[in-house]
Amino acid sequence: MRKGWFVLLAIPAGFLALVFYYPLGLILRTGLSEGGRLTLAPLQEILADSYYLHLIVFTIEQAALSTLASLAIGLPGAYLLTRYTFPGKETIRSLTVVPFVLPAITVALGFILFFGNSGHLNRFLMSIFHLARPPVRLLYSLRGIVLAHAFYNAPIVTRMVNAVWEGLDPAIDEASISLGAGRLRRFLGITLPRLAPALLSSAALVFIFTFLSFPIVLSLGGARYATIEVEIYTLTRTLLDYRLGSALILVETFLSLGFTYLYLRTEGRFASTTRGDREIPTQPLLRGPLTIGKWLLLVYSFLAAIFFLGPIVSILADSLRAGGGWTFSNYCELLSLSYSPFLGSSPLHTVLNSFLIAGISTLIALPVGTAVAWFAVRSRLPGRRIIESILMAPLAVSSVAIGFAVLRGLSGSPLHLGGTLLAIALAHGILTYPFVVRSLRPVLEGLDVGLIEAARSLGASRVRAFFEVEFPLIRRGLLVAAVFAIALSMGEMSATIMLMRPGLSTIPVAVYGLLSARQFGAASAMAVVLIAVTAFSFLAIDLLGGREGKGGLRW
Amino acid sequence: MKKGRLVLMVIAMLAIGIIGISKETLVVYTYNSFVSWGPAGELKEAFEARYDCNLEFVTAGGGKATLSRLLAEREAGGTDADLFMAEVNDVPRIATYDLFLPVTVEDVPNLAHIPQELLLDQTAGLVPYEHGYITLTYDSQILSEEDLPKTLEGLTDPRYKGMLVCEDPRTSSTGFSFLLWTIAHFGEEGYLDFWRSIDPTLLTITQGWSEAWTLLTHGEAPIAVSFSTDTAYGAMYEDSLRYRAFAPGGEGYRTVYGVGIVRETDHTELAKAFIDLLLSKEIQELLPRTEIMFPANETAELPEEYQEHAIIPSDPLMLPLEIVGTRMDSWLYDWARVITTR
Repeated sequence: MRKGWFVLLAIPAGFLALVFYYPLGLILRTGLSEGGRLTLAPLQEILADSYYLHLIVFTIEQAALSTLASLAIGLPGAYLLTRYTFPGKETIRSLTVVPFVLPAITVALGFILFFGNSGHLNRFLMSIFHLARPPVRLLYSLRGIVLAHAFYNAPIVTRMVNAVWEGLDPAIDEASISLGAGRLRRFLGITLPRLAPALLSSAALVFIFTFLSFPIVLSLGGARYATIEVEIYTLTRTLLDYRLGSALILVETFLSLGFTYLYLRTEGRFASTTRGDREIPTQPLLRGPLTIGKWLLLVYSFLAAIFFLGPIVSILADSLRAGGGWTFSNYCELLSLSYSPFLGSSPLHTVLNSFLIAGISTLIALPVGTAVAWFAVRSRLPGRRIIESILMAPLAVSSVAIGFAVLRGLSGSPLHLGGTLLAIALAHGILTYPFVVRSLRPVLEGLDVGLIEAARSLGASRVRAFFEVEFPLIRRGLLVAAVFAIALSMGEMSATIMLMRPGLSTIPVAVYGLLSARQFGAASAMAVVLIAVTAFSFLAIDLLGGREGKGGLRW
Repeated sequence: MKKGRLVLMVIAMLAIGIIGISKETLVVYTYNSFVSWGPAGELKEAFEARYDCNLEFVTAGGGKATLSRLLAEREAGGTDADLFMAEVNDVPRIATYDLFLPVTVEDVPNLAHIPQELLLDQTAGLVPYEHGYITLTYDSQILSEEDLPKTLEGLTDPRYKGMLVCEDPRTSSTGFSFLLWTIAHFGEEGYLDFWRSIDPTLLTITQGWSEAWTLLTHGEAPIAVSFSTDTAYGAMYEDSLRYRAFAPGGEGYRTVYGVGIVRETDHTELAKAFIDLLLSKEIQELLPRTEIMFPANETAELPEEYQEHAIIPSDPLMLPLEIVGTRMDSWLYDWARVITTR
């Protein structure tokens, strides 16, 4: 019985040991040694240097501001979706998943195209108001980073809060009305406390995401607004200071583990919110008398539409423009085999690399993730929670750190994989399998164990019971997990840019290169391919019935 | 029948592939603008025709970023690079890592046409092929000539708020030259104060020169740290003098680009032949038109637009390489600290 678990665990354990724990061990050794001796000196050096302290504080500061901005932009949306009805409401609700699944580099591109000093918004405002200088100055500053983070995190807030809000029992609210409580008092005294868990856990999630954000800070921040992630990149890839880079990775991982722990605590504590029997009452937004509240919500909707659609529409529009006219030439060039200096490769190779890496990494992530999910759901081994944490640890390590670890771990003898396509695929496997676990777990949990026991009692071996009874039942779940893994790998830039050798490129890295060189048409065409792949993937997940709970995706 | 044809095609493709692979391949690591602007295409064509081999240019961004990549690859067990193109201020770092083989005039006959003043690398590993001056370039549709700062100090004036784009000296050779310029101008005791006070003027600090140039030409900022030959570029290609170089106070920082042979190469003879071709009059005369730099070869002729529009600063600055070598790390360290703590 137990032997079976060890055989099953051998798959993820072997993979994790080789591609995650061994490389991370090397980083630990580099970051904690000096002249071969174990010491805390590099860590002390970082924590005693005002520059690194400033960097750490700035990273936390921008994450906190981004979280606040995401709440400020996301909450009115949650209110709107909960309390009002309007045509297209369900479509809007499903669309709230889109910004989050967009690869971060496409968000950066969209922001530059739309909000840049010479972007669409400024050019439009300059032409209608006859201005000489661009009026909206958002980019190249902390504001730009915070807003870009809000762009793809505010919808998370909207989604999570809306889901809880709709489930609140309206009876309590009605009782307080009958007792004469005013609107504000009702909101502050009754609604807000019951929403607090959802608010807190969405805020914590956004904070962790933005704390570890890399592509947006790298492309919108410039040298002056570096975060820990960007500094690790600069230290290890440009200054070749592996010692301090490794020490900084340790500091970052320690902090992110702390934040993740806090998040899991809040999520666990508040997870059960009682659901009312009745739906929360709604009113039509567009019909009936126009109150101040409705008016404000309409203004909000208008601004939100500009904020969220502007960058995406700009990418689509720019991908169709070249030489001052409308054309498909940017797309035709994606099929070109000729060398592009901004990619260090040809566009077609770049696109094929991305698909190839996504394919290989998914083939790795699926068995690993399935084994881990299976273990988490079925095992009754003592200490299984600890084993599970060990198996899910990559979630708490940043992508840049994983990229660097894999580069250091797999470069030497006997593998010599550093920077190759296979190394990138292995790193993507590490980054994506936790999401395979997350999407398979509910499926496995919902499975009727009796069926398997019946098969076993009829004489089927454990392996046979899996392949003939369970596998057909979870096939859909596996498909969803695979699509998820492919989409994540396609959009991954942080670990890739740490790992890749010159001459090898993937779509997100190419978007970054083209964006830096302001080759907007080509960058946009590449970005549209990415957007299309992710959009298609999540549409497929939706169709495959990924929405067990409300809202399809679980975080 | 169809199957047979398919098999034949596959065999033919394999054969072509094998012939392609069996040719020697010379790999040149360079900065991205050499490939996007420079004569990489012409060089490849001329070289491959002459020596029956493949010539590949590989870049990882700006000059310093590519050097870092190359050094990291060597450290991790080996690099494909046979040659590396670098700015002269990278020589101390190159020397530390003992990256280059020495090159003599016997190896590369065209070295005879390179003037002494450009042969700055005493170990002779880096062979200069072009040179110029780092100055500022402005957008004349936004700023008029009278509006321009007369000195570097002038850039800190509040009216230039958010108007300047410069390059990160840690990743870009151009950015590093600009940092050295401020050190040469303000002295080691004063340059950090300048960087502190120029903070409001800076729109952003880019990774490389290409990014800064495109920000300038896409209207994001009206001043960029660039080259003294930019006006001539506009005259030659854009038929416009919109983007013009200027040397505040007659100053500009000297820059020299060179190429060296990576010590571990298996293609030493081909690598020498490449350098000789790069220094030949034929290729050198392409440099002012593609790289927009002055050719190193004295016999190469300059386009006429250079006579009229290329600025030669009256007071060119250059710190001795030995000092750059010993002080570089601490300058960059201090710079990074000043620039991020507002």
